[in-house]
Amino acid sequence: MNLKWTAEKSLTLTRMLTLVMLVLAGAALFCIPIMTEWYDAVSGHGPIRSVLTVCLYLSDFLGITALAQLMKMLEHIAKQKVFVEENARCLRLISWCCFAVTAIWIFLAFFRELALFVAFIAAFAGLVVRVVKNLLAMAIELREENDYTI
Amino acid sequence: MPIIVNLDVMMAKRKISAGELAERVDITPANLSILKNNKAKAVRFSTLEAICRELDCQPGDVLEYVKEE
Repeated sequence: MNLKWTAEKSLTLTRMLTLVMLVLAGAALFCIPIMTEWYDAVSGHGPIRSVLTVCLYLSDFLGITALAQLMKMLEHIAKQKVFVEENARCLRLISWCCFAVTAIWIFLAFFRELALFVAFIAAFAGLVVRVVKNLLAMAIELREENDYTI
Repeated sequence: MPIIVNLDVMMAKRKISAGELAERVDITPANLSILKNNKAKAVRFSTLEAICRELDCQPGDVLEYVKEE
């Protein structure tokens, strides 16, 4: 059995994991009403079902958008299109999705302080993606300069 | 870019085709076209040297600085 790990296999694994996450995020859309109902029943605080439902739906839609962008990027990488403007655009959109999720959960923190934890994680993820986007934009510029040096 | 490449002027003066110059300078015709059409971001000294040698000219005959408005 050939167990040699290659860049191609690694890319396939990443694409599969992204697809699984996309399916889970899609399935979560149908479970949100059940989850919010359950949360209200067990939380012991005042009911926030409607607010929580709206926030979860918005966050899930943003998550699906980010995952779809990731799939697009992985497709580009599979086609050997790495240092291209489209990938930088995808990363920019993903970072804005993360920051939008941060805003949603900061709003939710007015009802449940624990939501700040999710907001912090989303903000951190958005920041990391943004730095990677800046890095990629610089790499694209360098590659272009290299390509056009005669 | 304020640096203009006047390669086509010198090529016309020396009556040399793009294909022939590309072969003599040892660059691809596609790269020579990038250079001729002012799409290049930089020129290597070795390329400039080969161009000047083949066209029997000075770098200033090929490159020109034009002030940006």
